[in-house]
Amino acid sequence: MMEIQSMKELIEACHREKKSIGEIMLMMEAEKSGKDEGTIISMMEERLIKMKEAVDSGIKDASTAPSGISGGDAVKMSEYVHQGKSLSGDYISNAMSFSLATSESNARMGVIVATPTAGAAGILPGVLFSLHKNDGTPYHELVKGLFTASMLGLVIANRSFISGAAGGCQAEVGSATAMAAGTIVELKGGTPQQVVNATAIAMKSLLGLVCDPVGGLVEVPCIKRNVIGTSIAFSAADMSLAGVKSRIPCDEVIEAMYKVGKDMPRTLRETALGGLAMTETGKEVKERLFCRKS
Amino acid sequence: MEFQSCFDIIGPIMVGPSSSHTAGVVSIGKFIYELLGDYPQETNIVFYDSFAETYQGHGTDKALIGGLLGMDTDDSRIKYALEKAKECGMQYQFEFENDCEYIDHPNTTIVTAKRGDRVVKVGGVSLGGGLSKIFLIDDEMVAIRLSAGDDFSILASPYQPKGKALVKAI
Ligand code: SF4
Repeated sequence: MMEIQSMKELIEACHREKKSIGEIMLMMEAEKSGKDEGTIISMMEERLIKMKEAVDSGIKDASTAPSGISGGDAVKMSEYVHQGKSLSGDYISNAMSFSLATSESNARMGVIVATPTAGAAGILPGVLFSLHKNDGTPYHELVKGLFTASMLGLVIANRSFISGAAGGCQAEVGSATAMAAGTIVELKGGTPQQVVNATAIAMKSLLGLVCDPVGGLVEVPCIKRNVIGTSIAFSAADMSLAGVKSRIPCDEVIEAMYKVGKDMPRTLRETALGGLAMTETGKEVKERLFCRKS
Repeated sequence: MEFQSCFDIIGPIMVGPSSSHTAGVVSIGKFIYELLGDYPQETNIVFYDSFAETYQGHGTDKALIGGLLGMDTDDSRIKYALEKAKECGMQYQFEFENDCEYIDHPNTTIVTAKRGDRVVKVGGVSLGGGLSKIFLIDDEMVAIRLSAGDDFSILASPYQPKGKALVKAI
């Protein structure tokens, strides 16, 4: 049975099998689970549909989350983009709106798909549905993209971590952004090497990012980090497609992320005891919301 | 390797806001529900480390109770799990600690749950991305991996307390 433990092995497998990264994932999943590929693809389709539903409901929902500290920004952002005012170009602007919509739905305890976590659930859908809107990438291609993303995510998760509590926000928004960057490249016809390269570039840009959610809620700064994550994903993808290489190989970047996460104090790993959570305003919010801790 | 499937990364489909502090915890609760064969009438829940600090913001308490009531990760009733528990007459109590003596992980909980003559003590960690692991059942260290799509009744059946087997036999 095929086991892939590193990006290097992944690229080798792609060459050997003459398959894309997404196809390798699908093949491995079929081998491991005993399910046929058709079944696996329709399970992935179901996830894409749920992602779309979260975007569609979030983009027109101006209500605030139960906490009162988020909500309504997706509506603002998409109106602004509609007016043609945005500076970032269509791909990034739409991705920003869609990602806000998803992350705001998440904060409302709405149904979302964790990619790879709920905190980072806005990035992949943001990027994917923006590709669909701007260059008509069909939905079945987006489903393929989800296999690419999960293959990249699996390597990252097994070599390092993907939760803020374990490794800080670099592990969460960082991993999701890295997965999204690689996915864009594969959907745009890049080679496996370029995919992995984009993954490395994106992850490097978010290395060291701490997890410091205000009041322990996955809202501030999480939602906006998802939004910015989409723009980093597009920039990293563009660089890689232009032939720019990461000087540090992806496996080493992941290793660095692991070590940085291990060195991060507990206060900066989802305990809400440091960073933005402990700013004056952050503390005020926490006090207003809860009264358990002495 | 803890993460095996593409659906460990893309998924679960879940109610927000946190895969580690909400979705993964629903699974731990649901596993205990399957272990007892029903929801517990009484339960004591210890949250450690990150769970203890941020459970309210993430609805970790609602997630665990929802799971104990038999809900899945994408059940939109999880929001109202505490009210549901009261309706069912479930008595629950939460405790908060910094470190767990059995395992070193920030997202750890130990749950003691009772239904009739069956009592179980279960330790679970939420690994991130909605994936969890049961590491303790009664006083035995175990390693049972929980992913939202799995059938927990099959995973739980070898560990079911004797009380249940007797009840079944009768
Ligand atoms: S700050 Fe923490 S909770 Fe928020 S998205 Fe980043 S890792 Fe997740």
